[in-house]
Amino acid sequence: MRFLMRRLGFYLAAFAVAITLNFFIPRWMPGDPTTRIFLGLRGKLTPQAMDALRASYGYDGNLWDQFMVYLGNLAHLDFGVSTTNFPEPTSSLLFYSAVWTLLLVGLATAISFVIGIGMGIYSAWNRGGFFDSVFTPVNVMLNAFTPAIVALILFYAFSLQWRLFPLGRAHDLGIEPALTFEFIINVLYHATLPVLSIVIVTFGSWHLGMRNTMIGLLNEDFVALAKAKGLSDQRIRYRYVARNAILPQITALALTVGYVLGGALITEYVFNYPGLGKFTLSAIQARDYSFIQAQLLLLTASVLIANLISDILNLILDPRLRSRTQE
Amino acid sequence: MSSDRVLMKVRDLTVDYMGDFEVLRAVENVSFDIREGEAFGLAGESGCGKSTVAFALARLTRLPGLVTGGAIEFGGEDVLGFTGDRLRAYRWREVSFVFQSAMNALNPVIPASEQIIDAIETHTGKTGDAARKRAAEMFELVGIHPDRLDDYPHQFSGGMRQRICIAIALCLNPKLIIMDEPTTALDVVVQRDIIEQIVALKAELGFSVLFITHDLGLMIEFCDRIGVMYAGEMVEIAPAEAILTAPQHPYTRALGRSFPPLSGPRVRMEGIAGSPPDLSELPVGCRFAPRCGEALPLCRHAAPAMISYPEKRCQAACHLLQ
Repeated sequence: MRFLMRRLGFYLAAFAVAITLNFFIPRWMPGDPTTRIFLGLRGKLTPQAMDALRASYGYDGNLWDQFMVYLGNLAHLDFGVSTTNFPEPTSSLLFYSAVWTLLLVGLATAISFVIGIGMGIYSAWNRGGFFDSVFTPVNVMLNAFTPAIVALILFYAFSLQWRLFPLGRAHDLGIEPALTFEFIINVLYHATLPVLSIVIVTFGSWHLGMRNTMIGLLNEDFVALAKAKGLSDQRIRYRYVARNAILPQITALALTVGYVLGGALITEYVFNYPGLGKFTLSAIQARDYSFIQAQLLLLTASVLIANLISDILNLILDPRLRSRTQE
Repeated sequence: MSSDRVLMKVRDLTVDYMGDFEVLRAVENVSFDIREGEAFGLAGESGCGKSTVAFALARLTRLPGLVTGGAIEFGGEDVLGFTGDRLRAYRWREVSFVFQSAMNALNPVIPASEQIIDAIETHTGKTGDAARKRAAEMFELVGIHPDRLDDYPHQFSGGMRQRICIAIALCLNPKLIIMDEPTTALDVVVQRDIIEQIVALKAELGFSVLFITHDLGLMIEFCDRIGVMYAGEMVEIAPAEAILTAPQHPYTRALGRSFPPLSGPRVRMEGIAGSPPDLSELPVGCRFAPRCGEALPLCRHAAPAMISYPEKRCQAACHLLQ
């Protein structure tokens, strides 16, 4: 318990630092939201009108006062109004895009983890066999691809050439968003290529991580003892080897899940998918302070929470940690 | 305690290790018997093939190791021919194993209880409470309170972990337990405890033991007969006490001389000059000849055969004895 409290204290401190940096980092970029609006309107705005606009968004006055207002608003969970999608409140934009990103990247991470771990177990157990000799190098290669290339190839082949999948968006415009079978199928249909392009470049690292940890464990005496006890291969493979090898993978998974809300910028961009990555990119281009701040905050919170969950999971799964923390 | 009925008959056992460019013969034409209720010891320097023999007997030889010749007979059955269910039953029901390192022989993230119960459940009809009851009995037998059944390996001391390994080895009442340096990783006091416990359990349950250790004194005390190995070959098999008092092979004699007596005057230990041969460049003739002070010209070009000397109750492979 003391271990957890210590971790929790650390996470709170990290969160406080992040809140501060989130405020300053966007403001260090040259330009501000109103100059971008000014540029966008090509001189139809007078400098006086621009100052008034800046004041109405609260982006005038000295930085310290702005920071205080920001902290106050944050305490009320008020993230301000977006300048790119005026008058949409930032929180609803953020929520909208976070849902799609969660679906896209979350689904991709889950599929990639399951496939990668499964392949890792199989190829470690049959080390040097046909499957291992073929898929281990192939997966190293796939893992080295960037999502941009894979997404573009898939997009070009399946969406543009063969017209098997839609050109973009999370669902067809003509369909009412609701929890109906028809809508869910439509959403999955639109998500197929983006999910696939993420899975292709990520499952290899799970495969390699799991395979290598398992091969290290196969030489342990406790595996020889399990074999000597005449246990079934299945029991040795899963209970005695994979059980231990999965521990570091769980930590890695928690870290990956933390970054899910960072979005998949390139994939979302290629498939015109309304996720956080794509929104963040346009927010940065427009110097939309409130959206950038809120997105960074969301990302920080999710990474820290994922870390905390990984700590707790490790405590549950690894008895050695449990007793070390009792000392 | 040991009867004259043979439990395990090993004949011309040969084990090779497959390298990338060459094949190393780690064990060559080793033959010996283990009798019912007997403690048979395997002695020799590191790398002489003791553990390789032990692993081969339990059918645990793993690539790059490969049993390439000979026969192992257990209760009249051909052990090397076992496959599938018969092999799984042979492992643990008939022959169990205590590994050198108690630290690593138990899976650190599985409770001790499960690691003994799974052996019981796999091989007997017992499940659930019955299996658990048996596991608790075994814990009590080796002197660990059954309350600690569900603790994890790291919660036990090194000695207790080795006791748990012994409990696991005994849980199915096997006829033979192979102990590959069961006490090497423990301090001397704990070592003593464990050996005394094994002696008591052996007297009570009547299993046979194949015992491997570097500690010749301990081996002579514990074993009925001892086989001495050198560079992958058996050079002498004799009653335990004869290893020190009436060694036949020069290597056995040298081995005995390199262990200090506990009492008596302090003497400078001799050790054995030179080092064991590289398995990839074995000498022609007797493998011990280059280190042997009494080697004859014959020793350097003809390998001696293992010959039985009933009047001395031993077997040895040495030209000097003829």
